[in-house]
Parts: sequence; structure tokens; C-alpha cells
Amino acid sequence: MNDKTYTDEKLNLFIDQQLDTDENDEIRHSILEDASIRERVCQLKAVRELVGYAYENVPDPDNASGAGNAGISRYLWKGIAASLLLAIGMLTGWTVNDAARSTQIASADDVFQYYKSAAQVNRAERKIILHVTTGDIYAVKGALDEAEQLLASYRDAGTPMKLDIVTYREGINMMRVGVSPYLDRIEGIVDNNDNVSLYACMRSIDKAQKKEGKQLVMMEKAVTDKTAQELISERLQKGWIYIKV
Amino acid sequence: MTKIKNLFAATRLKQEFADRRTKLYRVAYSWCHNTSLADDLVQETMLKAMKKADSLRNQATLDTWLYRILLNNWHDYLRVQGRNVELYDVGDEGQPEHADNYQKSQIVGRVRSSVERLPMSLREVVTLADFAGFSYAEIADIVDIPIGTVMSRLYRARQNLKEQLLDLAGEGKLPVKLMRVK
Repeated sequence: MNDKTYTDEKLNLFIDQQLDTDENDEIRHSILEDASIRERVCQLKAVRELVGYAYENVPDPDNASGAGNAGISRYLWKGIAASLLLAIGMLTGWTVNDAARSTQIASADDVFQYYKSAAQVNRAERKIILHVTTGDIYAVKGALDEAEQLLASYRDAGTPMKLDIVTYREGINMMRVGVSPYLDRIEGIVDNNDNVSLYACMRSIDKAQKKEGKQLVMMEKAVTDKTAQELISERLQKGWIYIKV
Repeated sequence: MTKIKNLFAATRLKQEFADRRTKLYRVAYSWCHNTSLADDLVQETMLKAMKKADSLRNQATLDTWLYRILLNNWHDYLRVQGRNVELYDVGDEGQPEHADNYQKSQIVGRVRSSVERLPMSLREVVTLADFAGFSYAEIADIVDIPIGTVMSRLYRARQNLKEQLLDLAGEGKLPVKLMRVK
């Protein structure tokens, strides 16, 4: 699908979920195939997110001399964090999906640390976290498609990159032996790219084990000794780009 | 018995209004960028809503009904003022004490400043969509314009904001490139 096929008006309707199912699916498919469409959609989403968060907390009418800012909630900053990461992703050519608005991982401090470090980041190198929080089979497939596209794009461009796939909550199922239908594919991605690492959230595994009453078997290549929150916080502070699935 | 039922209904409706007050205030603020005025507009909206409660036929449309009253109040204010934009100095947000807070306020300030530069008709639609979360049909109802006009205003607003905001994350220059809040 050619980028010029879709007007920005149409893409606005897409991000606002105002299209019928067929048109929606068509654009969604095009986004996976065409980086330029992906970038345009990301730009529009970034604008929408930023406007949304800019007014989540406004000065109190009874105390307009500064309480508004001083009292800005951590939640708001998480939101801004997600928005700004979205904008960064957009500018660097990556897709950040709808879940950015509801991310609970990136804190405000993480993001502003990110910005501080972003200015010093070696622009020739990209470090990306792909955060998978769902066990939905189509979402997982989309995540793997995205991972392969990222790797191929940077490989073609001759740009070094590091990709960490961090799974959380039901997302850990994509790395479970006997559960995930994508184990071979994931193994292939890791075997063919020495810059890819796999992580399954330790806390999510513990919770799932308690819930299911049995030991979970994760694929050998998955690192399981840290929580997703720890992993992501560490990376954001070092200037990694965050993409949530 | 009827009186008691009416009393319960009135109390419930009052609570429904109160639950929505904060968001109404934020939306009003996104239009006028002035705390006192936003508060006045919401207060006026609450009063009118209570007076006109009988005209609310369908409880499911409470939100659009309230925001329509708010928008009408805002337009009434603009008419009285006789001007459409740039109503006041927005110097009421104060300065946070810490550098990090300052950086954060700069980002929010930049976005608000960009929204504030939009023509009023675009500003109203984009904040109703992107902040208040109304659908196109609901916005058409609130603003009393065709859905096609909602689409075109939203498109123009986002294009405008995109141009203003795209350098937010560009080349890692964000903290120094941000413009101050008016």
C-alpha cells in the first residue's frame, strides 16, 4: 500500500476509531508494511496524547499561585512520559501503540532522565525495549513482526541496535514452553541476531505460578531473575526507546 | 411520596454534576487558560444545569448536555468580551521549585501554549476530542456542527499542533527548546 493512498484526514479517523472494520483493518495492515504510514500515524497519535495530558492537571482556581504545578500527580507525569516516549518513537521511526496512554511502567523521573541522556546518546546506536504485556496471540504475533521489522530496518541501514524484549503479566506466555506457539520463531530471532535479549518478569512468573499451582517452564534463552519494572526503569534511565505492545 | 422521589432524583443529579466538575473545569481551562474564568464558567454551568435539569430527557446524554451548556457559557463570555482569542495573560501557573519540575512544566506549558495559539473553533474541538475524549458524533452535538465539520476542524487542529510540537523530541533538544508559558 502506497503511503499517498491515505490522507491525513483518513488517518485521523483511523486513530480515533471512526472507520468501519474493513477500512480499519486495511490501514492497520498497511501500518505493519509501510514505515512512512506508521510514522504518520505515530505523529498524529503523539499530538493527541500530548493534548490529552497537557490538561490532566491544571492550576487550582483557589490556589493559582503555584499549587497546580506543585501538586501535579505522578499519574500525570506517567502520562506525559508515555506521550513523550511516543513522540521520540515517532521521530526515530518506531511505532508505539495505543497502550502508551495507559502505561504504568515509565515514571516521570524515568522520562526526564531519558531526556537528559537523550542529548548525549550516540545517535548512531539505537537501544529499544519491546514491552509485551498481553498474551493475546495476535498482539504477540504483531510484537514479533515489529521486532523483525526493527532488526531488518536497522540492519539494512547499517545502524547498530540492541533490542530487549521484556514480557510482563500475560505477556510472559509468549516465552512459555508448552504454551507459546511462537517459541521456534523467537528462538530463530535470537539465534540470528546477537543483539536481541529476552526477559520474562520475575514477579509475573511468581504470580502465574501461584495462580496455576505449578512451576512455569520458560524458554532457556529468557532471563527470569528481574522484574519488568526494574528492567524497564534501568533502560529508560540510560536512554532506551520504549515500545509497548 | 412523589416529593421524596423528586428529592432523591435531584440529589442524585446534583451528585452527577459534582462528579463531572473537575473535568468540566479542565476543559474550560483548556479553552480559556485562565483559572478564575474557568472556575466561573463551570460554576455558571452547574447553576444552569440544575435549573434546566427538567430538560434533560435522556440521562445517557448528560455529558454532552453539560458540555454544551459549558460551551454556550464560554461563547457568551467571548461575545461580551467582543473578542475571540488571546484574552488574558496566563501567568497563573507559578514556578515550581525544583529543576526537574521546571522541566516538566515546560513540556506541559509548551503543549498548552500551542493549543492556545489555535483558532478558538479548532481549540474547542481538539480539546473535546483529545482531552475530554468525546466521539465525533458527541462533539457535533455539543458544538452544534455537522460531523464533517468536526472532522475537518480536528484535522486542521492536529496538523497545526503537529507542526508546533514536532520539535519536542527532536535531536534531544527538548529541555532547551521549549518555549515558556505565557
